[in-house]
Amino acid sequence: MSGDWVRRALAAATAAAYVFLYAPIAILILFSFNAARQTAHWEGFTLEWYRRLLSNELLLHSVANSLIVAGVTTAMATVFGTLAALALARGRFAGRAATQAALYLPVIIPEIVMGSALLTLFGAVGLRLSLATVILAHVAFSISYVAIVVRARLTGFNRSLEEAALDLGAGPVGVFTRVTLPLILPGVVAGALLVFTISIDDYIVTSFVAGVGATTLPLQIYSMLKVGVTPEVNAVSTLLLAVTVACIIIAQRLQRAPGPGRGV
Amino acid sequence: MTRTAWKFPAAAGVSLAALCCGGGAQSGAEERQVNIFVWSAYMPVELLDAFRRQTGIDYRFDLYDSNEALLEKLQSGVADYDMVVPSDYMVQILIAQRLIQPLDRSRISNLGNLEERFLDQPFDPGNRYSLPYLYGTTGIGYNREKVPEPVDSWDVLFDPRFGGRILMLDDMREAFAVALRLDGQSGNDRDPAALRRATERLKAQKPLVKAYNSGDFANILESGDVDLAQGYSGQLAEVVRKNPARFAYVVPREGGTFWMDSVCIPAGARHPAAAHALIDFFYGAEAGAKLVNTVHYASPNRTARAGIDPSILSDTAIYPTDETLGRCHLIEDLGALTTTLDESWTEIKAQ
Repeated sequence: MSGDWVRRALAAATAAAYVFLYAPIAILILFSFNAARQTAHWEGFTLEWYRRLLSNELLLHSVANSLIVAGVTTAMATVFGTLAALALARGRFAGRAATQAALYLPVIIPEIVMGSALLTLFGAVGLRLSLATVILAHVAFSISYVAIVVRARLTGFNRSLEEAALDLGAGPVGVFTRVTLPLILPGVVAGALLVFTISIDDYIVTSFVAGVGATTLPLQIYSMLKVGVTPEVNAVSTLLLAVTVACIIIAQRLQRAPGPGRGV
Repeated sequence: MTRTAWKFPAAAGVSLAALCCGGGAQSGAEERQVNIFVWSAYMPVELLDAFRRQTGIDYRFDLYDSNEALLEKLQSGVADYDMVVPSDYMVQILIAQRLIQPLDRSRISNLGNLEERFLDQPFDPGNRYSLPYLYGTTGIGYNREKVPEPVDSWDVLFDPRFGGRILMLDDMREAFAVALRLDGQSGNDRDPAALRRATERLKAQKPLVKAYNSGDFANILESGDVDLAQGYSGQLAEVVRKNPARFAYVVPREGGTFWMDSVCIPAGARHPAAAHALIDFFYGAEAGAKLVNTVHYASPNRTARAGIDPSILSDTAIYPTDETLGRCHLIEDLGALTTTLDESWTEIKAQ
């Protein structure tokens, strides 16, 4: 009887936690279909905000900027982060311990310090602010996330698998692509997804280093607050959410599918 | 798998290179582009499109949400903007830091269209660096159904009857200006004793204040979350125009803030000629009228008046009367005293 009571309490607590996590998102989606311009009251269903969104050049431009930045950042940070993790896990070089410690710095350092430092750096070297400086800044703080996640994946890595592949005649490149990479792929994909989400909603660092024509979606939404959030913002957030969720579902499907290395 | 892994950095490298060089290709003898950095909802895209059709000069524009954000960008020295629109006191700071350049009046043929009384302000005597773009006041927007008697004093924001129904701008200088005026002082008063009294007044007000907010105040008032909101004229006027039976805007009898945003050209701008052309364009009669009809802020452009919607011109929330303007003052940069004020403000908000 008492065990039953505990189980119910836990179920209720879990349900409450999920409501707490997802209620704001559900409300945001709901209100993107709200006919009222003021976001506080429900006045009926409409697709008006989605229609307006498609004719709002500024908002669409900022969405495009965000997708470019997040896409390029994810690609670059994933490659460099994975290489860094491999080097740290396997390399024996001077300053390895210091490099490893420094890896955590961009994760711990307050964003506002990072943004300010990057802006000073760009100013010092005379690099004109643009979308490229936003990408550089995002890559700078993203590499660490990928490296840390992939590094964790490498901790339990059984190197005899690689040795076996070498014994059976595979070259170094073949070992990497057919044994090492498939085994650490879940870590690489997780790191990439993490970086994509961090990059696409970053406000603080971006606000420091964004240049001409480089207004990203978070910057655009924040400056729109000056005149009030319209349901268009809810609509664009809903669409972005749908894209992100789709990406994650696809990534999970890919991970579940047996890779070439799974048979080893 | 290898192929994808290699394709990524290559593609990224190419696009980065393209992005880096994209901006540089524009600088020639003919300036075909102008980069604008401006407050949101302050420069209609349709007008910029008209400018592009008329002159062949393309535009790119980005938005900022505070004067300080603008200052930060210009201080970096690599911002690449050709035209910015800082508020009064920020113009003074930008001049002092040599971040904006003197304007070439010979390139602005429509200069004569501006009303004299908005020129030659204390933040930029003689308008060497800046010209007025739009102006307005800071006052009180309120819900007439919830506030029984007409509001005419800042006192109402300190009235316990409306506790929890009051919104103040999240703006140190605007808050102090209110407290100082209620004390019979100017909003720019530097007397330590007066500032101390103002601090105490604002501390006592804190429990009555539901929110300190400089961005969304008009919507919060409109949605009914507060009944009284300190705020800028343009956005509050918008709320009042939608529902004049329910809302009203007033500049209290003690006086309010008169603010003015000005067009400036950053030092080292790469397209100064294009920026001058754009400024001149905005001071034309037709563009000036279109601007006001779209953004609902008052313009110092005299010739634009003919084309402005009469209901806007007669709306005193948008175009303050001379009597109201006479009661209002610009916020002046207080120099070193700002730090002291900043500490008091932190103290008020943290208690």
